[in-house]
Amino acid sequence: MNCLEFRREKLAEPRHSSAAARAHAQECPQCAVFSRSVDESEAELLRAMTVSVPEGLADRVLLRSGRANFPAWRGWALAASVVLGVGLASIFFGAPPSDAYARLAVTHVIDEPESFTTEYHSDAHSVAVALRSVGASVRTPLGKVRYVKLCPWENGTAAWHLVFETPQGLATLIVVADERVRSKSDTFVDGWSAGVRPVRRGFYAVVTSSPAMTGQVDEILRARINWDA
Amino acid sequence: MIGDKKAEFERTVRAYSADLYRYAYWLCRDRFVAEELVQEAFARAWKSWRELREIGSVKAWLITILRNERARMFARKQIPVADDDVSELEIPDLPSMAENLDVKRQLERLPLAYREPLMLQVLGGYSCGEIASMLNTSEGAIMTRLTRARQALRQDAAEPLKRGARR
Repeated sequence: MNCLEFRREKLAEPRHSSAAARAHAQECPQCAVFSRSVDESEAELLRAMTVSVPEGLADRVLLRSGRANFPAWRGWALAASVVLGVGLASIFFGAPPSDAYARLAVTHVIDEPESFTTEYHSDAHSVAVALRSVGASVRTPLGKVRYVKLCPWENGTAAWHLVFETPQGLATLIVVADERVRSKSDTFVDGWSAGVRPVRRGFYAVVTSSPAMTGQVDEILRARINWDA
Repeated sequence: MIGDKKAEFERTVRAYSADLYRYAYWLCRDRFVAEELVQEAFARAWKSWRELREIGSVKAWLITILRNERARMFARKQIPVADDDVSELEIPDLPSMAENLDVKRQLERLPLAYREPLMLQVLGGYSCGEIASMLNTSEGAIMTRLTRARQALRQDAAEPLKRGARR
């Protein structure tokens, strides 16, 4: 086996080396280095591909299958077990941290990097629909909105995910309807800042790269959107 | 007997729903659609559950169902599938983003013909031969796509370093 053949094989099937490839790597220091670098990239690739899975996905799949195929009691039992589980968790482990939603917003942004690099339903009508979900309306246009998408949120609910341009750079706005948040909260995690603000029919979260920018963007949102329309 | 099948199905959902979700996500790059695909795939799988002979190959079977569901969904909703020709891989320069998003972004930019076998191998642990039979193509074609996919990712990762060196 020559170096070119070795590298082709390594790039096609990094986890399984043939006997010829193993023998070549022992004799060729450059290919041994190449092999190690591919192994390192594979670990990085696996980390990147392992996106977070929405909470309760398996239960929702079973509930949906239950509606069509399982006896009714089984669906109710599953639903009750989810509710009971959440209840018991709050008894034994206490209430969730106050910045739980802010952290969730950061995780959501990290898991959807394409929101920064693609334009998606970035028209005024989509923005209006997203805001209407929490009873809000646009007072003054936000400027250039690049991305508006309905995304899965926790417990099988949905959230509107918007990305728009500001003088400081791109900012993310996440709008969640019908979920009660008692007070505002902020967090700074993994290099991302997020602020959660309650509104009459749910809450919104601002995610940016710094706490200062989050504050500035929040001011823009307060000025340009009527949250209690 | 039916109870056994239901228990087996429930165990399968709990064991593989996360893997299927990740596979669906990288297929369509949309978290909402990914969940819908997983739900549809399992619903369809349950309808044919009694016909499943070999529980050992259930994951590959579920992946095939999910791929078919995706094709059905795209046909139904007439969503244009943006997929580049494998022979014309071009990786455009994008403005640099936060470092922890780099690999994900590189993956996003890979054409589906490269991305799909790559995720079946990295996430699913399948061999080139197994991937070839899942995607109805030859093992040689899969090896070529995987080689090119990794070459593209390595080239993309090296690009900022090259740009830095030129400055």
